[in-house]
Amino acid sequence: MGSQIITIAKFTIIEALRNRLVLLLLLVVMISFAMVEFIGDLAITEHRETQMAILAAFLRLCSVVVVTMFVVSSTVRELQDKTLEMILAMPIHRGQYYLGKLMGFISVSFLVSLIFGMMLLVYAPTESVAIWTISLFLELVLVVAMGLVMLFTFNQIPPALAGVFIIYAASRITTSIYLMAKYPIISHTTIAQKFMDSFIEMLTWLLPDLHRFTQTEWLTHHVTDWSLLVPVVGQTVIFLGLLSTIALFDFYRKNF
Amino acid sequence: MVDFLVNKDRKISDVPIIIRALLVIALLGQLLWHSQQEPVVAKADDLPSPMSTRTYVISSLGEPIAMSKILNLWLQAFDNQPGVSISFHQLDYSRVIQWLDTSLALDPDGRYPMLVAARVYGSINDKEKQRQMMDYIFFKFKEDPGKHWRWLAHAVITAKHELKDMKLALKYANALAEQGKDVDIPYWARDMKIIVLEDMGELEAAKILVGALIESGDISDPYELNFLSKKIDDLQEKSSESRQNVENSTQTD
Repeated sequence: MGSQIITIAKFTIIEALRNRLVLLLLLVVMISFAMVEFIGDLAITEHRETQMAILAAFLRLCSVVVVTMFVVSSTVRELQDKTLEMILAMPIHRGQYYLGKLMGFISVSFLVSLIFGMMLLVYAPTESVAIWTISLFLELVLVVAMGLVMLFTFNQIPPALAGVFIIYAASRITTSIYLMAKYPIISHTTIAQKFMDSFIEMLTWLLPDLHRFTQTEWLTHHVTDWSLLVPVVGQTVIFLGLLSTIALFDFYRKNF
Repeated sequence: MVDFLVNKDRKISDVPIIIRALLVIALLGQLLWHSQQEPVVAKADDLPSPMSTRTYVISSLGEPIAMSKILNLWLQAFDNQPGVSISFHQLDYSRVIQWLDTSLALDPDGRYPMLVAARVYGSINDKEKQRQMMDYIFFKFKEDPGKHWRWLAHAVITAKHELKDMKLALKYANALAEQGKDVDIPYWARDMKIIVLEDMGELEAAKILVGALIESGDISDPYELNFLSKKIDDLQEKSSESRQNVENSTQTD
């Protein structure tokens, strides 16, 4: 059982390498290096902090986009080329296929976070970068799981990509929106407003706390407190479990 | 690995002639369209008001620090708009202050906004605008003296040497000296009140202040104590010189 999962994961990694993912990552690194050096020349003070903050935010966003695009396009190709049907015709459970793909994509996410983390080492202290990189990896793990859920639901690239990006963005800003709704400048008591407030509060319950993940502050303030990763790991484990269950639920119901 | 660099396409002559013709027509169409457009004229825009801090937090997907750094650079480069260069004199300083405040709200530990307030926007040759910026620094100092004292020290110098407003310099120096008791503000900054008083000719007041500083027991560093003792001697000397001058002028009269 384990060997089948590992084989599927291995082929997912091979596909990533053949898709020139590493080349793309190196391109991102080169572009960000040029951008950050230019920004450094503009800053009058807090030269390093400015470079770090902008680079970290840029790399975080790039890593999410790259991983999402890869997960969605690779799995859709398998669906459309009927490779998935061929694999499922063999003595392999759907759960094994899912876990294999998940493991493969998680390995790719590890590679992405490692390359971007190494890039940040040029500008930030090692320990802070290590904490930031681990958090980025865990964030990407959730992005991978979101990508798989959206794919099994929509089967098409545009809605799957839109779905991942909307949920991801909502997860990052939902706490801010919740605070805005809870402490408004002018308080409203209309039913529509109350409904919106309750809806936003519901979102904070259902979406992962991504605002706690991969914080730029850790780099700019040289944070070396490893306990910051505890809630990040906890949220990743719980939400990965939830997303995987949703994906498997959809996958087992699917007719090919 | 280099497959994508090798040209595997068919010859251009294989493309139907209608497609080639359409390509040329489309390109000409684009050029014609562009030639009919009104020429773009460089126009300086006014500095807009910033949005709320939360809007920036949301639009940056929860990256307030990165957003603050981007806003700092944007504001700093606002005088260089595409094709036009405007001077800081032309900027609406109350708007500039709003932007600096927004940036500080996004990154409370950032030093950038206060530095540009003191050394960029506060160093222009426009006394009214300089005053506005120094008042902003004073306001921020009162909010958090421990964090912003160094910029108020700069404001004392600006008020004294550039604005030539000794009363304003004394007001800022006074704030530094008073807050210094509760917050960890270095001696040289608290000492500014003595220098301003001395420059204002308030030698007796300066002497009393130095004496009070020594007696307070707050200063334990022997170098600082030595400096203060010398300062008292200097003030004593200046004081007696000025008294002698007054006496001489009275005798001459």
